[in-house]
Amino acid sequence: MGQIVLEKVSKSFGETQVIPPLDLTIEDGEFAVFVGPSGCGKSTLLRLIAGLEDTTSGTVSIDGENVTEVSPSKRGLAMVFQTYALYPHMTVRKNIAFPMRMAGLSEEEQDRRIMAAAESLNLVDYLDRKPGQLSGGQRQRVAIGRAIVRNPSAFLFDEPLSNLDAALRVGMRIEISEMHARMKTTMIYVTHDQVEAMTMADKIVVLQSGVIEQVGSPLELYSAPRNLFVAGFIGSPKMNLIDGEEAAKHGAKTIGIRPEHIDVVEDGGIWMGTIGVAERLGSDTFFHVNGTGLAETLTVRALGDVALRHGDTIHLNPRADEIHRFDAQGLRVS
Amino acid sequence: MTNRSLPRLLQSPAVILLLIWMLIPLGMTLYFSFIRYVLNSLRRPEWTQPSLSNWRGFGNYEFVLNNKDFLFAIQNSLFIVCSILFLTVMLGVMIAVLINKAFPGRGIVRVLLISPFFVMPAVNAVLWINMILDPVLGLQGLAVAGINTLIDGLQTAPIVGSFFSLWPEIEPISFRATQTSAYAVIIMVTWQWTPFAVLIFMTSLQSEDQQQKEAATLDGAGPWSQFRFLTLPHLARPIAIVVMIQAIFHLSLYAEIEIVSRGNGNKNLPYLIGEFANNNIGAASATGIFAVILANIVAIFLLRMIGKTLME
Repeated sequence: MGQIVLEKVSKSFGETQVIPPLDLTIEDGEFAVFVGPSGCGKSTLLRLIAGLEDTTSGTVSIDGENVTEVSPSKRGLAMVFQTYALYPHMTVRKNIAFPMRMAGLSEEEQDRRIMAAAESLNLVDYLDRKPGQLSGGQRQRVAIGRAIVRNPSAFLFDEPLSNLDAALRVGMRIEISEMHARMKTTMIYVTHDQVEAMTMADKIVVLQSGVIEQVGSPLELYSAPRNLFVAGFIGSPKMNLIDGEEAAKHGAKTIGIRPEHIDVVEDGGIWMGTIGVAERLGSDTFFHVNGTGLAETLTVRALGDVALRHGDTIHLNPRADEIHRFDAQGLRVS
Repeated sequence: MTNRSLPRLLQSPAVILLLIWMLIPLGMTLYFSFIRYVLNSLRRPEWTQPSLSNWRGFGNYEFVLNNKDFLFAIQNSLFIVCSILFLTVMLGVMIAVLINKAFPGRGIVRVLLISPFFVMPAVNAVLWINMILDPVLGLQGLAVAGINTLIDGLQTAPIVGSFFSLWPEIEPISFRATQTSAYAVIIMVTWQWTPFAVLIFMTSLQSEDQQQKEAATLDGAGPWSQFRFLTLPHLARPIAIVVMIQAIFHLSLYAEIEIVSRGNGNKNLPYLIGEFANNNIGAASATGIFAVILANIVAIFLLRMIGKTLME
């Protein structure tokens, strides 16, 4: 069980309000990702839920119980930190045992849970090592192990993969997703990386300056961004945003179209321009097109390798039904 | 000239100088410890000159070992050093943890806390023994007199008087006495060196990982458990360093012992050497060699202990 409800929760540090009052519900068993640029308040929001920060106003409830005034350890949540926060002088075994030791569990029960966690996380061979002797990925797994043994009602992850290299990050991402599929426990995951958000989340919460811009499943956010910020933030490479005359034609202040929704045609496209940089990834090629008169550069995706080079003229055809329209306030017009 | 010998050659002046610096005094001490050598003797004037013809073998060592003060001096050296180490580390950790929290005026408090360390040892001793610990004129005397007056007053009070009339008059403690002079030295040196421990622990506490503490909070560790399982292990290395440095310094305490009681009831090896050196240089040198051996034993223990904590 682990339904987390925030009602009118706000947070101020002195005079500065970092989170204006907001409401949010995370259902039991859901994988929710808080995503946004750095300084958007996503980590603060997570710390409010964990109880590491006190709310300035509003209530936090877990499973219908108001825990706003409850100490962090009594909330039944486990947190995994960006820096892993392992206890450096304890062995892996003792690190994982620490929360159970604090809770006063019996030795046998501790050993049983340690072995179960170590087996599921491939840590059995490292139990008697110190954190300093482990690689980044192993340390992260120890931190997760320390969270698992507590049988928490929800896991909180604070940018857990930021300190890992790219290859490990992809591996750990899958491991965490599998863990969620297996355990079916509520997880809240904070990241600034929208790829992590898109690939892992059941529900994405996009934040900017402490304000929730949009909440929804990855594909909802992708196909129907509620405003310009979400449109620009979700999706890689970024959505092309076009102002002015071309937007007016579609009856909007700004229109947006994703690189994968612009087709490259031999001749007679609606738009044309000169190729600047071509990024060839093998499966796709991304062209940065200049001189279209629409925006400074347009990013266009072509499937596979296309025989167009730097400086060539390119003809483009946007798919009309994939054009997103936004009004003067930056809100979506449907 | 090969690649290796040039750096060695360039290093050699420093190495040779250090060796001379160390070996000459040690060699002379060894030499004096094996001969009869006194500063003043009317009966045997030939002993007043150091000479191989006055060879005494291990006679000086035997003389020192048979001296009634020798074993006492060793025990007392260790007692003083261990007590000071224990107290400074305990107080140092407590104060450092206490002032690690932000509070108004923390900067000033820190400066004030460090200041005892800048007092000269002799001044420290004079200050404590005369102005604080003196049974009549010191703060101790005044405090005891004050408490006695208070009790006197309470004894004549109605109701509670019968209870307080059972209380004896409190006697002030004379810290120059044979039984207590060692405690006076321990108190004043602890006062002086606690700031050193605080300073080292304070810097170490500032580098403590806050996320570890947050993780521990979520893991259900209260303030005491966090101190016990996170802060103390974090301080293991600075504690080892404080213990080592202070052990080296306090084995050679002299000024405080001289000023408190002139060695009455409270001698350590350096003080014993000083007493012998009034006339008997041979015996003083032999004691010096014993002191070198003791210091080395202590150093080996400490280095082992510290080596272990530094390895981890």
